[in-house]
Amino acid sequence: MGKPTHLSKEDIEAFGREIDAVRDEVMNDLGERDARYIRSILKTQRYSEVAGRALLMAGFLPPAWLSGVGLLSLSKILENMEIGHNVMHGQWDWMNDPSIDSATYDWDNTCPAHQWKHSHNYMHHTFTNIVDLDRDVGYGILRMSEDQAWRPQHLAQPLTAATLATFFQWGVALHDLEVERLGKDKTFKEAAVQAREIWAKARKQVLKDYLLFPALAGPMFAPVLAGNITANLNRNLWSFLIIFCGHFTDEVEMYDVEETREETRGQWYLRQLLGSSNLTGSVPFHILTGHLSYQIEHHLFPDMPSHRYREVAPKIQEICERYGLNYNTGPLTKQFGGVVKRILRMSLPNRRKRNTLEATPSTDAPVYAEAA
Amino acid sequence: MNPVVKKVLGSSVVGALTSPLSVDDYLALIDGRLSLSEPRGRVTQAIRQTPDSVTLVIAPNDNWQGHRPGQHVLLGVDLDGVRHSRCFSVASAPDQATLEITVKRNGEGRVSNYLVDQAARGQLVYLSPAEGEFYPEARTAHPALLLSAGSGITPVMSVLRYWITNRQLRDVVFIHYARTRADMIYADELEALAQRHDGLRVETVFTADGGDRISEASLTRLVPDLATRETWLCGPAGFMDVADALVTAASDLPLHREQFAATRREAAHGEGSVRFLKSDIAASGESGSLLEVAEGAGLKPNYGCRMGICHACKCRVAEGSVRDLRTNRVRDVRDSDIQLCIHAAAGDVAVEL
Repeated sequence: MGKPTHLSKEDIEAFGREIDAVRDEVMNDLGERDARYIRSILKTQRYSEVAGRALLMAGFLPPAWLSGVGLLSLSKILENMEIGHNVMHGQWDWMNDPSIDSATYDWDNTCPAHQWKHSHNYMHHTFTNIVDLDRDVGYGILRMSEDQAWRPQHLAQPLTAATLATFFQWGVALHDLEVERLGKDKTFKEAAVQAREIWAKARKQVLKDYLLFPALAGPMFAPVLAGNITANLNRNLWSFLIIFCGHFTDEVEMYDVEETREETRGQWYLRQLLGSSNLTGSVPFHILTGHLSYQIEHHLFPDMPSHRYREVAPKIQEICERYGLNYNTGPLTKQFGGVVKRILRMSLPNRRKRNTLEATPSTDAPVYAEAA
Repeated sequence: MNPVVKKVLGSSVVGALTSPLSVDDYLALIDGRLSLSEPRGRVTQAIRQTPDSVTLVIAPNDNWQGHRPGQHVLLGVDLDGVRHSRCFSVASAPDQATLEITVKRNGEGRVSNYLVDQAARGQLVYLSPAEGEFYPEARTAHPALLLSAGSGITPVMSVLRYWITNRQLRDVVFIHYARTRADMIYADELEALAQRHDGLRVETVFTADGGDRISEASLTRLVPDLATRETWLCGPAGFMDVADALVTAASDLPLHREQFAATRREAAHGEGSVRFLKSDIAASGESGSLLEVAEGAGLKPNYGCRMGICHACKCRVAEGSVRDLRTNRVRDVRDSDIQLCIHAAAGDVAVEL
C-alpha cells in the first residue's frame, strides 16, 4: 500500500490527538478489573509451571511427559510473553505491587532484564523500523529491508533465521551487546561488562532447567532434562513466530533515518502504526502471544496493560479507516507467509528500486551515536 | 511457617529452582500472607468503637519482629487494584501475639476511609517493620504527662499500656482532647484503667461539648505540676504546635513527640524549577512536593506513606536547594538522597529521576 501521501501535516497531528484520546480513556480507567486479570494470569502461569514440572518427574510415562512438556511450555510462554515482556514495559507499575514492577522484575529467559529494557523498550520502541537505528530490524544478522545493504552471507539467511528461531532466547540475550558497533563507537570494555551480566543470568537459567530440576528427579534425570529442553525450544519457536509477524510481514513499512529526523508525536504514531502488523485469532491465542497479536496497539501504547489492546483495537481501526490508513492485520498463516516471503526475497540483492521517494545513502555508526 | 520448612524454602537451592522469580511468588498461590521475609498479616477482628473509627486486630506472619510501645507501622492494602500504604501507630502492648491499630476516618484519606468503612476479618495487609523513636525507656525516672488529641491517642495509649503491663505506672496524668465523647476511641478502656490504677489520672476534654481548647490557662489548671513531668505528645499538627510551645515553656524535662497525623505544616508548594535528569524533563517546582511535581510531569517514582516516614520515595538529588515541609527549613543538597514526599523545591533542583 505504501506510505500515505494524502495526509497533510495538520491531518497527521489530528490523527495523533485522536490516538492520544484513546490512550487517555483507558489509562484513566485502570483499576480492579485489570488487577484481577493480571493476577489470574500470574496464577495460571505458576500453577501450570508447578504441574508441568511435577508431571515431568513421572516422565517415564509418555502421557505424563507429553502433558508435562505442554504445561511447562504454556508456563514459559505466558511468563515471557504475557507477563515478563509486558511487566518490563511498565504496564502494571500503576498497581504499586513490587512483585510485578518494571524496575525489579526479571523474566525466565537468558536475557538480563535491564539489557532488555534498553534494547527493546528504548531502542526498538522509539526507533521502530528505522533501518540502522532499530536493531530489531533483522537483529544484526538478517536482511529485512531493501534499505539494508546486501551481503553474500544473506544468501544463507533462511537457514540463519531457522537457527535464530531455535535458539531465540540466546539471540535475545546477546542482542544488547551490539557486536556490530564494537571497535567503532562501543568499546570492548563496555561489552565485556554486559557479557558478564549475560553470563550471570544465563548461568542461573541453565543451572535451573538443565541441571537442578533433572537432578532433583533422580532416576528421571533424562526425561526431565529432555522435557525442559523441549519446553524452552517450544517457547523459542513460538516467540520467534509471533515477534517476526509483528514487524516483518509483507506490508509493513521500513524507514530511513532522514525521513524521521524531526518527527512529531503524530508522525511517530503513524510510523508505529505502519511499521507494525497484527494477527487475528481467539482470546486464548491473543493471551498466548502476550497480546503482541495486537502489535499495532502495543506499539502505540507500550505501557498500557495488554488485555486492554483487545478493547481499543476496534477504535484504532475505525480511526485508520477515516484517515485512509492501512491497518495491517490477518491470520497467522497469511502474516507468517509474508514474513517467509520477505526473508527469502531479501536474501537476494535488490531487484527493484526502493519504494521511498528519494534514495538516501544509508548512514552507519555516526547517526546511531547521535540518536542514542 | 514451620521453622524447618522456612529454612528449606529459604535455602539457595530452592532459590535457584524458582529463579528468577522468588519463593514468595509461589507461596502466594497458597496464601497471600505467606512470605519468607516480608511482614504481612490478616485482620482477625474489626471492632468499630465509634462511628468514624475502626480498631483492627491483625495476626502477623512470623516475619513480624515485634514493636516497642509507641512505634508505628506502614500498612498497605490493595484498593481498586493499587497498593496504598499509610502509617498507623501500633496501640497494642508489645508482648501480644497480635497487633492492634486504630484508624480514624480522615477527610479525603482513601486508606483510612476504606478501612473504617470496609475492613473485615480476613483482609490481607502488607506491613513494614515497626518504626519510630516514640517509645519509653525501660524505667521512667520522672512523673509523666501523656498529652494527645484525636487519633493521636493511639501511640500514647501504647505507651500507657506498656507501663501498666510492666508495673511501672507510678504518677501519670493522661489528658486527651476529642470533639465529643462519641468520637473518642478507647474512652471506656481509659475510664476503667483510671479506676483500677491509683497512679493514673485521666482528664478528657470534649471541645465540641463546651470543653476548653488547649491553652496556657487550661493546661496549668489540669496539670499544675507540669514542670516536674516528662511529656509524651501526639495529635494533629496544629494541636502539636500549641502543645509543644506550652510544654517547653513550662518544663525543662524531655518532651517526646510523635508527629504523623498530619506531617506537613502548610499546603505544600515550592519555588524555582525542577529538572528530572534521567527522563530529561523540566517542570515548575511550584505545584507541591517534589513527589507531586514528578507525578505531575508524568513520572512514576516509588512512593509509600507520602508523609516522610517510610522512605520509599527516597531519590538522589544531584544539586539544588530544598525545603523540608515538616520544619520549613531550607537547605542546599548535592548528590544526596532525600525523601521526595516531604521536600519541595526552594530554588532550582536537579533530581536523578
